[in-house]
Amino acid sequence: MKLHPVTVPSLRPGPTLRSRWLFACAALLLGGFVAAQDVELHSRVFEIARQLRCPVCVSESVADSNAQLAQQMRQMIQQQLEEGRSEAQIFSYFTNRYGDWIMLEPPKRGLHLVVWVLPVVAGLAGLAGVALLVRRWLATARQPIVVGQEALDRVRAELESGEG
Amino acid sequence: MRRVLLIVGVIGLLGGLFAYGLLRGEPDRDIPSAIVGRQAPSFVLPLYERYQPEYGESFTLADHLGKPLVINFWASWCAPCYEEAPVLQSYWERYQDTDVQFLGIQTQDRQQFDAGRQFLDQFGLSFPNGMDDASAVSVNWGLFGVPETYFIRRDGTVEHRLVGPVTAAVLDEHLAAILR
Repeated sequence: MKLHPVTVPSLRPGPTLRSRWLFACAALLLGGFVAAQDVELHSRVFEIARQLRCPVCVSESVADSNAQLAQQMRQMIQQQLEEGRSEAQIFSYFTNRYGDWIMLEPPKRGLHLVVWVLPVVAGLAGLAGVALLVRRWLATARQPIVVGQEALDRVRAELESGEG
Repeated sequence: MRRVLLIVGVIGLLGGLFAYGLLRGEPDRDIPSAIVGRQAPSFVLPLYERYQPEYGESFTLADHLGKPLVINFWASWCAPCYEEAPVLQSYWERYQDTDVQFLGIQTQDRQQFDAGRQFLDQFGLSFPNGMDDASAVSVNWGLFGVPETYFIRRDGTVEHRLVGPVTAAVLDEHLAAILR
């Protein structure tokens, strides 16, 4: 019977095995880096989408909605981020098409300022009202109680007669 | 007495606002379009097979600028779109000898090509219709829903945007405006 030579692999890692290990580690690192970048991009897409109103939904953001139009808008945000556009440029792209309506938070300019300023003004007015009331109460409390002679005589008479 | 009246007045006002919020129903969808008065955003739309011999595989907006255009966005699931389709077809038949171009864009209807073909068959729509499968054209045009119809002047600016089904009166008024 003819015996075929068998090659027994060495237990000690040779240069080929070592380079394989190195390659695997590099691939793993690269994969991790790419995945981390994907996660970051994804979270930026949703961060922007959260600030946009879904045009075909009721009170839902583009991030929360599963409507086809919202999905397309998220895709457009991703595409524009990949092209290196800034957040402001992306918002401007959507407001150019949908107007300021598309922003869930009204912009801090023009008539929209009323929405931002009014609550602060109302809060300050409320505080001023409370301060005025407290001042009035304190002023009243500080005033000495004036009791007329007639009332004093009556109380004294009642005490003496033992009715009080 | 005055204080009681003031308290009743404030409570009445707040109650009134609350009741209005509860009873007003769906919010108004007729939000003014930001693209009216501006240049119509360009697009290239793949057309259904039946229109390709006459118009080519796709409808490129830039190739049709210089003509008045009526662009209607529809979907196979949209009930008012069924209501307006015969009106659009009858106006297309009436105006097709002029230089007005009608275009139908099926949108928010991902992969519903068969439903789209059925819709076109049902109304025998002879003006070109295509599919905006990813809704990219819709977002670029600032579309809120379906149906929506845009009237484009010869210079490519958007003259009017209509939310809801088109009627003969609307078509008469805005076709006259873009043909001027």
